[in-house]
Amino acid sequence: MNCQDFEKLALALARNSLLDTTTREQGLIHMEDCGRCAARVAEERALLAHVRAVAAGMADEEPPARVETALLTAFRAQTAATAPSTIVSASRPAPRRTSPWSNRRLAAVAAGILILISIMAIFWRSTSPRKPQGEERAVSPAQEASPGTPKPAAPPDAVSRMAVERPKNKPKRARGQATVNISDEAEVVTRFFILREGENLAALDSLQLVRVELPALALSEVGLPVDPETMNEPVKADVVLGQDGLARAIRFVR
Amino acid sequence: MLAGDEQSFTALYRRHKGLIYRFALLMSGRAGVAEEVTQEVFLALLRNGSRYDPARGSLTAYLCGAARNQVLVLMEKERPYVQLVEEYDDDDPVSIAHLVSGDDPLGDCARNEANRLVRQAVLALPARYREVIVLCDFQEMRYAEAALALDCPVGTINSRLHRGHALLLKKLRAAVRLDSAAPDAQGMRCFA
Repeated sequence: MNCQDFEKLALALARNSLLDTTTREQGLIHMEDCGRCAARVAEERALLAHVRAVAAGMADEEPPARVETALLTAFRAQTAATAPSTIVSASRPAPRRTSPWSNRRLAAVAAGILILISIMAIFWRSTSPRKPQGEERAVSPAQEASPGTPKPAAPPDAVSRMAVERPKNKPKRARGQATVNISDEAEVVTRFFILREGENLAALDSLQLVRVELPALALSEVGLPVDPETMNEPVKADVVLGQDGLARAIRFVR
Repeated sequence: MLAGDEQSFTALYRRHKGLIYRFALLMSGRAGVAEEVTQEVFLALLRNGSRYDPARGSLTAYLCGAARNQVLVLMEKERPYVQLVEEYDDDDPVSIAHLVSGDDPLGDCARNEANRLVRQAVLALPARYREVIVLCDFQEMRYAEAALALDCPVGTINSRLHRGHALLLKKLRAAVRLDSAAPDAQGMRCFA
């Protein structure tokens, strides 16, 4: 055994830990021959003796009685099935509420959900057929809002400018759009309202359509009538986003 | 205890309170933190006691693990603050132990100084080494149990203990004579 091998044994020998008999004997023989390694073990033993002296000096150190009192109060409160928030209310000193693991768990769960959504979005993108550029253009809100687009008559109870569109007339999804899930059922939608005056949506490279919910009050922003009784109720809307993420146009859905 | 037996809870607390308190005290060096950690650990046991699985390890290891987490959280929170004076509570008989001397005042003085230096050196260690030394050397916990408490393999405990000892020896060589074993605790005499 050389000094390097012995170094691994020094602490075990100093602590009198259980060792393989052969290894122990080899270590002891090495110690007899090597003064440096013997001194190393002696030093470890001295350190352990100091540590144990400190531990012995601390043997009587215990938390003050008030901790037990506070804990018993908490225990009684818990067994009395009171609200969890009152468990520590009687303690002194007031313990700080430290729940790092619950916060970390929440963060981990949130991260997990985000990852799952990302995976689903990537999967959706990889499985859905790519639309040709021309087709994307064809669904641009500007074109849909053009006067030449045929629109069926609005239902009597709908907002006056609403039109009924069949799925085939619905705007196609733009690339990268993962958040909109337009069902195949017929929806009542308004035309697209341009949010920036004078903007030509057809000139934009790509668009995204995102389904959102807004308070009904938002209808008035584009000049649609709003029932004061339902002005705070949510209404669905499709928002057209430009490449820069800014909203360019909106239509309301029912 | 989980069934609401107060006596069981009291007995459990009294059996483990010293261990947890001293662990937190050695880890933080502050009585206030140790007190708070002790309270939090047992409050957590009250709230989430059902999470403890006896098949995974002893309750001591479980409680030490919880105490370790609490200590690290508290120390992280209090890192920006510097303690100017050591905390002593005159009403607490444990805290006035530093005023009590044994039969050999000079020897006591030297021993106390050596103990203080050892504690200071332990506190100066990085937390990952300190916690292993506190558990395995001060508390004389088995490596396997310490591994459970610290949620790491036994090999990690072994290597951290080696590294921690090396650092501790380096810090103490200049301050404490390590070629002689520390004297045993002796009877105490009050100078107050």
